[in-house]
Amino acid sequence: MIIVDDVHKRYQTDHGPGKWVLKGVTFTIPPRVSVGLIGSNGAGKSTLLRLVGGVDEPNKGRIERHCRVSWPMSFGGGLQGSQTGRQNAKFVCRIHGHEDDIPDRLAYIQAFAEIGDAFDQPVRTYSSGMKARLKFALSLAFDFDVYISDEVTGAGDVAFRKKAAAAFKNLADHASIIMVSHAEGTLRQFCSAGIWMHEGKAHWFDDIEDALKAYKETVLA
Amino acid sequence: MAGIRTPLAVTFSVWKALTLREALSRLFAGRASWFWLLFEPVFHVSYLIFIYTVIRMRTVGGIDVVIWLIAGMLGFFMFRRTATQASNGVGANRALFAYRQVKPVDTVLVRGLLEGVLTAAVACILLCAAALFGHDALPDAPLSVFEAFFGLWLLGLGFGLVMSVVTELLPEVGRIISLVMKPLYVISGVIVPLMSIPQPYRAWLLLNPIAHGLEAARLGFSPYYHAVPELDIGYLYFCALVLIVLGLALHRRFAIRLVTQ
Repeated sequence: MIIVDDVHKRYQTDHGPGKWVLKGVTFTIPPRVSVGLIGSNGAGKSTLLRLVGGVDEPNKGRIERHCRVSWPMSFGGGLQGSQTGRQNAKFVCRIHGHEDDIPDRLAYIQAFAEIGDAFDQPVRTYSSGMKARLKFALSLAFDFDVYISDEVTGAGDVAFRKKAAAAFKNLADHASIIMVSHAEGTLRQFCSAGIWMHEGKAHWFDDIEDALKAYKETVLA
Repeated sequence: MAGIRTPLAVTFSVWKALTLREALSRLFAGRASWFWLLFEPVFHVSYLIFIYTVIRMRTVGGIDVVIWLIAGMLGFFMFRRTATQASNGVGANRALFAYRQVKPVDTVLVRGLLEGVLTAAVACILLCAAALFGHDALPDAPLSVFEAFFGLWLLGLGFGLVMSVVTELLPEVGRIISLVMKPLYVISGVIVPLMSIPQPYRAWLLLNPIAHGLEAARLGFSPYYHAVPELDIGYLYFCALVLIVLGLALHRRFAIRLVTQ
């Protein structure tokens, strides 16, 4: 279960504090419910994911994580370009305290990512789809209760999305995902509930279809 | 994953992982990176030995010029390399802050530690080489030499801790500080014997804690070395401690800002 209570967030700019990105966001994600975050560009979706993932802290309000939450998989970070996929994978295993079974996890990551020989090439040579595959495989190699994905899932091709969705179906009895995506198909494939981000607030919908509908109504209106 | 790891256990595993990846990129990232790591001090030392001996100077302050140069040069590198590597730690590992286990201060500490170990190894290699050429490379008071080098390393670490925050948050100030640090090589007494500088100027130069570290290291090699009489190793440790406390406090205060920028 993840509790987000009255969270406010703004960033420091070169000219003092910026405008509020999140203005009192409150919701509770029950265990084993996969949620899709919907909203226009700049609505604060990635900011919210970073806060839930624990890499940033809110200016006001609190976030409680009563479960193991993955790091936020996003385009920006997580992989060091100068090192190979294998070296990056080893690093992630180590910081998560899995020193003893690195070979098993590496084998799993390599098999799931299906990027072939590129696994031993520097990450800076990867395409965005290959990076997405590696990031997804990396996080699936660990037993999290909640996986956080910031648009990364959409970068993989159809075959990989299918594989990832199937992997999540298998995990469905004990794990869930929180994801940002602009592709409706991907959202429907992975999520049951939806959060619509609008003007610094978050609106919870038990059904992802209702969230999509609410989003479209404001966009088209 | 059996239970929740203690914060200390998480930090140790992060340090271990970071040390391995930093060592890998420091030693093998470029073509023969490890060679240049060793070659830079070797080149500096042999270049200066050549100049000094050509003008027929065999001893400085009563000890072998080769040992005088190696002790001073490596002591100075102990400070400067540690400081430079540590200050760039945050910027170079930006991508890894996506994992909440990794804090900016971890990258700085790990880089400082790694650079200290590598410079110590380089110093040993150089001293062995000097011994092979028939110089008296064995220090008379090894513990004093260690004390001096360790103090210089701590000073470099403290300076790196402070600079890593300053260069990220106030790049202009960072640039000015590194400009001010440029002439350090000359004023720390690496190539100029501080004893040859008259008072009151020597007192001014000795405000610089690095100078104390270098003189102490040379004195550790030979008790007959004419070190500056004002030598105070405690001053070096005091400055290092102040910088480390200040640097850690800055990291504590600006941890979130460093990650989000």
